[in-house]
Amino acid sequence: MNSTHHTEIPDQLWQQAQTLVQQGWAGNLQEIVTEALRRYLESHQQVLTETFIQEDVEWGLHGED
Amino acid sequence: MNGDYMAKTSTALVVADAGPLIHLDELAALDVLSDYAAVLVPNAVWLEVQHHRPQALQQAKVKLIRQPSPPASDRVNAMTALYTLHHGEREALALCVTHSVNLLITDDTAARLAAKSLNITAHGTLGLLIRAVRQQLRTPSEVVALLAAIPQQTSLHIRPSLLIDVIARVKAEWASEL
Repeated sequence: MNSTHHTEIPDQLWQQAQTLVQQGWAGNLQEIVTEALRRYLESHQQVLTETFIQEDVEWGLHGED
Repeated sequence: MNGDYMAKTSTALVVADAGPLIHLDELAALDVLSDYAAVLVPNAVWLEVQHHRPQALQQAKVKLIRQPSPPASDRVNAMTALYTLHHGEREALALCVTHSVNLLITDDTAARLAAKSLNITAHGTLGLLIRAVRQQLRTPSEVVALLAAIPQQTSLHIRPSLLIDVIARVKAEWASEL
């Protein structure tokens, strides 16, 4: 299931994405936005972010450097 | 700053990504980096900070050194692609590798994952703020106030209940000094 959303994207990024589509490297802009979002969400999972913050706190409190 | 606190100095070099420089400056707390011998800022990161928070680059207490874009190794390029990192993050990792610097300061989860894969230690704004007590750059109460100000004063996003937990840990650690 898909839904429609509105957002602002910097012109330069949008133009780069359009170029990829025009050159045939991507099917359409929606494909690029969806793939970019998926990749971001994969590498910024909440559990990872929270783990890193807990590591930060431990280092801040008890690290040696 | 409490007069009982005398800052320690370090000979260590660190490499900075844009996030912590911006967030610490938003808190007027960039001086928590002042005990490092120097903070190396790769060119792409420098330009990013200059765009979003130019005043962060004009702090007299912190030795920020702009570095030309370093060559990226195949491993760094692979991590960049794998984690879809930005130019600044790629340059920061490359700088760590080329200058043998083992501490990257970043708030980006993907950059931290990539750093881990490259055996580079990475820490972020929260860790640096808390470390400032240990390094006697800030008092515990100052750091608690800075942590509490993050949601209102900075563009760093953190789940509110997690931030409350972090503040509680800091308060418990230095309970006798608060």
